[in-house]
Amino acid sequence: MSNPVTIIMIEDDEGHARLIERNIRRSGVNNEILPFTNGTEAVSYLFGPDGSGIDRNGQALLILLDLNLPDMTGIDILKRVKENKHLKSTPVVVLTTTDDSQEIKRCYELGCNVYITKPVNYESFANAIRQLGLFFSVIQVPPAAA
Amino acid sequence: MTSDAKRRRALGQILLLAAGLLVLVAISAASVLLVNKARQDNASVVHTVEVENQINAVLLELRRAESAARAYLLTRWPEFLTDHEQAVSNITPYTDKLAQLAADNPLQVEHVKKLRGAIDIRLDQFRREMDFIKRDEPASAAALVREAAAGNTNAIIRDVTDKMRTEEARLFDLRTANADRSQILASSVTIAGSCIVIALGAIAAFQVRRSARVRDEAATKLRDLNITLETSVQERTADLREANDEIQRFAYIVSHDLRSPLVNIMGFTSELEELRGDIFKRIAALSHAGSDGAALPENATDSAEPVLDGADKQLSDDFSEALGFIKSSIAKMDRLISAILNLTREGRREFKPERINTRELIEGIASTVAHQAAEANAQIRVEPLPDLVSDRLALEQIFSNLMDNALKYLRDGVPGDIAIRGRTKLGFAIFEISDNGRGIDPRDHQRIFELFRRAGTQDKPGQGIGLAHVRALVRRLGGTMSVASELHKGSTFTITLPINWAANRKADA
Repeated sequence: MSNPVTIIMIEDDEGHARLIERNIRRSGVNNEILPFTNGTEAVSYLFGPDGSGIDRNGQALLILLDLNLPDMTGIDILKRVKENKHLKSTPVVVLTTTDDSQEIKRCYELGCNVYITKPVNYESFANAIRQLGLFFSVIQVPPAAA
Repeated sequence: MTSDAKRRRALGQILLLAAGLLVLVAISAASVLLVNKARQDNASVVHTVEVENQINAVLLELRRAESAARAYLLTRWPEFLTDHEQAVSNITPYTDKLAQLAADNPLQVEHVKKLRGAIDIRLDQFRREMDFIKRDEPASAAALVREAAAGNTNAIIRDVTDKMRTEEARLFDLRTANADRSQILASSVTIAGSCIVIALGAIAAFQVRRSARVRDEAATKLRDLNITLETSVQERTADLREANDEIQRFAYIVSHDLRSPLVNIMGFTSELEELRGDIFKRIAALSHAGSDGAALPENATDSAEPVLDGADKQLSDDFSEALGFIKSSIAKMDRLISAILNLTREGRREFKPERINTRELIEGIASTVAHQAAEANAQIRVEPLPDLVSDRLALEQIFSNLMDNALKYLRDGVPGDIAIRGRTKLGFAIFEISDNGRGIDPRDHQRIFELFRRAGTQDKPGQGIGLAHVRALVRRLGGTMSVASELHKGSTFTITLPINWAANRKADA
């Protein structure tokens, strides 16, 4: 893997962020994790100052996205990522507390790759994150140019 | 305006009308009386004038007879004779007429009697004069004329007629004055009455105008009120709907946001649990190392449950117990939050009315719970049910909740018997779900419909949400629900739903 995947974690709750990170590490994934605690910072990182997303072209990214952000909804970020020609092949994992079937459906319609509800039942949550770790190790993010 | 004021006003108007009527009647009566009086007075005046005329006529005829007689005596022209005779023939009837006219006045009657006597004497003199002339004794006739002229008969006649005239003149003055007074009285009564009537009319007109104004104001107010009522009902409805939406949103957001910290609590509790494992393993290893001096730390971390003794074991158990309580409480809180979320989700769902074969729907539910029924040794009887137009999903949730409850709370050792019956009444379908289960204490009949409240022995899992949810659904479908139950005898839940539920609740909700 000459092009290691960078995990972009957009999560406003620091506790959640810490739990997610721990579980990812525990499942043996050592990729770099870039945490963002609000939507604006994450968007400016992803799309750059001009909003085109050209800076991230060709980078192997994986986005962990919480839908409830203080400054915008995760749905908006998901939509923008999937509409951007440089970023649309980036896998997006939606992580949220909602288990509303309407919202899940909407996320998949917008192109989210995996939807994980943050359950209070911690075991299943940890399990899901670990599975996600396996998923990270399996996926090969294709170069955007290809 | 108070009813007291209204009554007073009505009374005032009646009094006003009555007063007007009285005044009119009085004026009319007075006018009639006065007019009659005036006519009588006038008649009296005329009568007096007539009497005077008659006196003059009698006197005139006397003079005419006298002068004609003298002329005839001088000239012997027959024309004067005819004239004299004519005058003489008039005197008696005229006198009679005078007597007749003056009959009302005793004084005049007396005078007329005297006059008549004098006239008779005079007529007798005329007759004798004429006789002398006819017998061609002009000297005797002239003597007689002289005698007559010198005699007192003429004086008497003059005197009496003067008296009569004086009397009549007195009467004339008196009667004229009377007539004048009557007329003045009549006109003043009429004027006064007219003034009163005009005044009353003015008051009445004023009152009518005032009440008309009040009525117009009331009518305007009523119209305004009607218009604003419509608007305010709409506004209120919109407000209520908004408030309801607000509550739904609030419940959703609160329950949703409560979940985030709960995830952290649960997550870090699990982390703590793992740490606990590590800590006690290390304690065990250390204590073993202290006592035996042979144990290896690496091995210690591998063993599933470290061997602890005495105080350390107690500590470990306390730790586990505390974590266990935390975790079970979190689980319970999570279930409650999920329940609220589900309820708000249901509350926000739009109902779609459609034609539903109720019996089919309920038999479908019965087949899904057939396994539980078999386990509980219960039978479910579905009797013929009326079809209705309603929301399918809501009906499914209502009936499956109630059937679940019926199966859940059966009496141990008694074969369950659950029956679903239906009938229609006045545009409503009435469904009854009855069981022979453990029943509900009458004190709890209201409580069981409240959120998170349960009744009876708490030996079955549940959050106390089902019936609250069912009742909310039934209400949204425009129906009502009630329970009849006795402890240890079974329960009957009755649901009344409109047969034709239209989705117009938005309009009139």
